[in-house]
Amino acid sequence: MATKKAAKLVLDHKFDAETCRHYLNKQLVVLHCHHYASLYTQLAMDCSMLDAKQLLAECSEDTFLEVLTAYFREKNVTSLEDRIAIGEQYFASTGLGKLTVQCAGADSGEVRLDFSHVDQGWIRKWEKTDQPVNFIGLGYVSALFAAVFDLPARSFRARETESIVMGCDHSTLEVVRN
Amino acid sequence: MAIDRKRIISEMSKICAVGNEEGLIPAFNVFVTQLPASFWNGFAERLTRRVSSDMLPAAEYLLFNAARSCGYHTGFGIITSDEWKAVVGPMVEKVPDDVLHGAYAVFTAWGWAKSEVIEIVPNEKMVVRAYDYYESDVVEYGQSAKLSAYMIRGVSAAFMALAYGGDYQPKGGPEEAWECDQTKGIECGDEYGEFVVRHA
Repeated sequence: MATKKAAKLVLDHKFDAETCRHYLNKQLVVLHCHHYASLYTQLAMDCSMLDAKQLLAECSEDTFLEVLTAYFREKNVTSLEDRIAIGEQYFASTGLGKLTVQCAGADSGEVRLDFSHVDQGWIRKWEKTDQPVNFIGLGYVSALFAAVFDLPARSFRARETESIVMGCDHSTLEVVRN
Repeated sequence: MAIDRKRIISEMSKICAVGNEEGLIPAFNVFVTQLPASFWNGFAERLTRRVSSDMLPAAEYLLFNAARSCGYHTGFGIITSDEWKAVVGPMVEKVPDDVLHGAYAVFTAWGWAKSEVIEIVPNEKMVVRAYDYYESDVVEYGQSAKLSAYMIRGVSAAFMALAYGGDYQPKGGPEEAWECDQTKGIECGDEYGEFVVRHA
């Protein structure tokens, strides 16, 4: 199905001088570097106490589902094409990378990352590795599909089939309905 | 002290971080993201609340260590940046004390924590207070028995390493010589968070 990406993301940044907090579209936001993201990711991979990779992905999914759902509601973004366009632009605006939804349906989808903060930050901090590391991205993509189709969290599951961190020139994330 | 906190916060809080055409934000010699604070809080809180009590110190140490590494590298990027040189640099008279005071003004301006240095014992100890910080948002009602400001702890240890740890090491290392204890927390019902940095 051809897609027409017309919607443009609107970002409203505010600094509260009293609390010294930054807000983007009323959402409290903070800057963190690739060392932080890499070490959180490594923590999740090395954690033997529980499935922290899944935990990291779920935290990402919960966070971004709330952000995207609120945006769609407040800006009255209703069409599939516009919601996907906003989701792609929001991902880029946060510094997480360049995400393109290749296809999307109620049961599945495919997403391509040409640039990825998590992957490229990992490589810059350490080096390429032999397994995917972008759990934050998996959570984001699950959230995007749930938000696009007006579904709750955990409606979709994403997995990486190609990864920049493993040496590919892009990452591919496949999405399937739970 | 020549550091004008008010002016630094006013100037540095104007920072606007948005991804470039690659969706990346290269700044201060690192890649940065601007994500909802609830994401970082959510992972730290769910992790530390789900592990068994005997594993809690290990989980907390890993969260602290992530921030310590981040603080060391990003902190160095900040204090060598053009923005720092333009705004904070001219105010620095006494090194490294003024650098530390300036760093916490920037830390405040960029929304990590409304914080300041209370005490410095050169190359030995630093006490920091935070009057508002996003990590305390994990408690929205009542008081927690668990202190939760792992990020401030880590960054504070890192700043001490940048001040007294010799030349910056791109691979890191000097930051591991410093630890930081949180002694008070807004999330625990205190008026402010307090952090004490000492040699590891």
